[in-house]
Amino acid sequence: MNWTHVRSRGVSEAVAERMPVRTGTEAESFAALYERTFPRVYAYVMSLLRDRSAAEDVTAQAFERAYRKRGSYRARRGTLEAWVFGIARNAALDELRRRGRRAGLENEPVDEAAPTAEDHAELALRRETVRAAMSALDGHERDLLSLKFSGGLSNAEIARVLGVSETNAGTRLHRAMTKLRKACDDAS
Amino acid sequence: MTHPDSDPTATIERDLRAVDAALEDGAATHGDPLARELQELALALRADAAEPGDEFSAALGQRVKAGFPAAPGSARARAEGARTWLRELREDMPPPRRMLPAAAGLVTVVLIVVGLASVDLQMTDSSDDGGSGGGGASVAQDSGGGGGGEGGGKAEVAPGAGSGAEALRRAAPPGPSGFAPGTPRRRVERTISMTLEAPDAEIPRVGQEITQVTNRHGGFVLSSSLDTNDDGASGYYELRIPAGRLRPALADLAGLATVSSQSQSEQDVTRRHVTAQDRLEAARAERRSLLRRLELATTDEEAEAIRRQLDIVAAEINGLRGLLRDLRLRTNYAVVTVELSGSGEDSGGAGAGGAFDDAVDDAGDLAVGLAGVLIRIAAIAVPLALIGALGWAATRVLRRRRRESVLA
Repeated sequence: MNWTHVRSRGVSEAVAERMPVRTGTEAESFAALYERTFPRVYAYVMSLLRDRSAAEDVTAQAFERAYRKRGSYRARRGTLEAWVFGIARNAALDELRRRGRRAGLENEPVDEAAPTAEDHAELALRRETVRAAMSALDGHERDLLSLKFSGGLSNAEIARVLGVSETNAGTRLHRAMTKLRKACDDAS
Repeated sequence: MTHPDSDPTATIERDLRAVDAALEDGAATHGDPLARELQELALALRADAAEPGDEFSAALGQRVKAGFPAAPGSARARAEGARTWLRELREDMPPPRRMLPAAAGLVTVVLIVVGLASVDLQMTDSSDDGGSGGGGASVAQDSGGGGGGEGGGKAEVAPGAGSGAEALRRAAPPGPSGFAPGTPRRRVERTISMTLEAPDAEIPRVGQEITQVTNRHGGFVLSSSLDTNDDGASGYYELRIPAGRLRPALADLAGLATVSSQSQSEQDVTRRHVTAQDRLEAARAERRSLLRRLELATTDEEAEAIRRQLDIVAAEINGLRGLLRDLRLRTNYAVVTVELSGSGEDSGGAGAGGAFDDAVDDAGDLAVGLAGVLIRIAAIAVPLALIGALGWAATRVLRRRRRESVLA
């Protein structure tokens, strides 16, 4: 099998773990990564932007950026998923800054999946309560919860994305969840 | 084992495990009510995650499969074309291992050229600086200039410093462009001592040529002595050479024989010159004033007193004129002393051994020059690299903070 490696400038071969890219089928291997992460990346971006159109743009932009930069991925810096989410997060935050959508994070989310008639009343109520409680959290906490539950990342991957230790990521996650639970209790 | 309720860390770990288990199983089943609540919350949050639209999913999927093609004619398409061209060019080139010797050769040539250029620059620097800086291995310069407006500089060339003309260039005094900023015309006394070494038989001829060179450059021989006997030959010449012709004259002198040592000192007498000029102006003004007073004097006693003062002022004016003349002479002409020393060889003494020694000396000089260049490069590159690294790290932190500011 013909494998090549994508090199990064200024990184010693001895320490750099390189992302193997299969010659001739690069798009194919990236497609696998895309298939694996696309829905979660979209959900995460959507949770940050609260705007379907913007979320689609940013998601597409993030994957395109990841595709272009796939040679710069280093396994020692975390998993591929964490890497893609890092790119998506940066793109989403840039988009928020660009549009001056600070208020967007603090406002009520757009009702993308409003409970339908078929939804169980209790589930719908629970969902509404959780959404309302989310507004009690600050942006960092919401970002953290989105990475965990919309993005489906492990605590270690979240730590990589946020640039903190795994323990710190876990502690912050627990704090945010506890705060959310309390907000839910207060709301209900 | 610590009970979770009594240890916050254990509680956190238990809860996080419970949340992960719920996400994996899709059910909240933990025995602890609080942990189970968190599990339910986690499931609710996950269930609330938005899903992409089919149309968007299909469109993006197509683009991924196509490798995110650039729009024809766009800047990215042009950049991709250039990248492809470079990649093809790289593929056409021989493998790196084959190019290694050529690259090594090229690097060596570049290093040598840079080294030579640096050595040359070093020489030019030392001749232009007039005693400030330098730093070559075989040239030690000491700046004494400055503070009070008067100062001296000294440059020496160690014995055996190489060929005469080059060594002289290193210690040559500053040209007309070497004046300090803000001082339109400086008065500098220059004294150069050099020792020329030649075979005993050549000493008389070299002595004659020293005189010729001096005359040719508009200077004169103040004193000279030549001694030739069975023990060897030697000579001593004290020359005065116009400051403006000093550099070519020294180069010519150095060309007469091997320069075995050389030193140069400078004394900046600008302040003394300016002071003397000012005092002369003041004395002249006083003289004019006294003359006017003398014309108006009404009594003999008064006129006599003024005349006595005039005599004193006249003496002062003469003294100052003499001082200025002396200063001008000393600064317009450089003092060059040339010592001739016989090497005890006949004129054919420089054989293959000498050439080999010269070659070794030259190689040593070149190595020292190259080392100097490398040290200079490192002195610039290392701080720049450190600053760059710090800047890069700071930029990363700032960029991250700026990005995340929308989350605050």
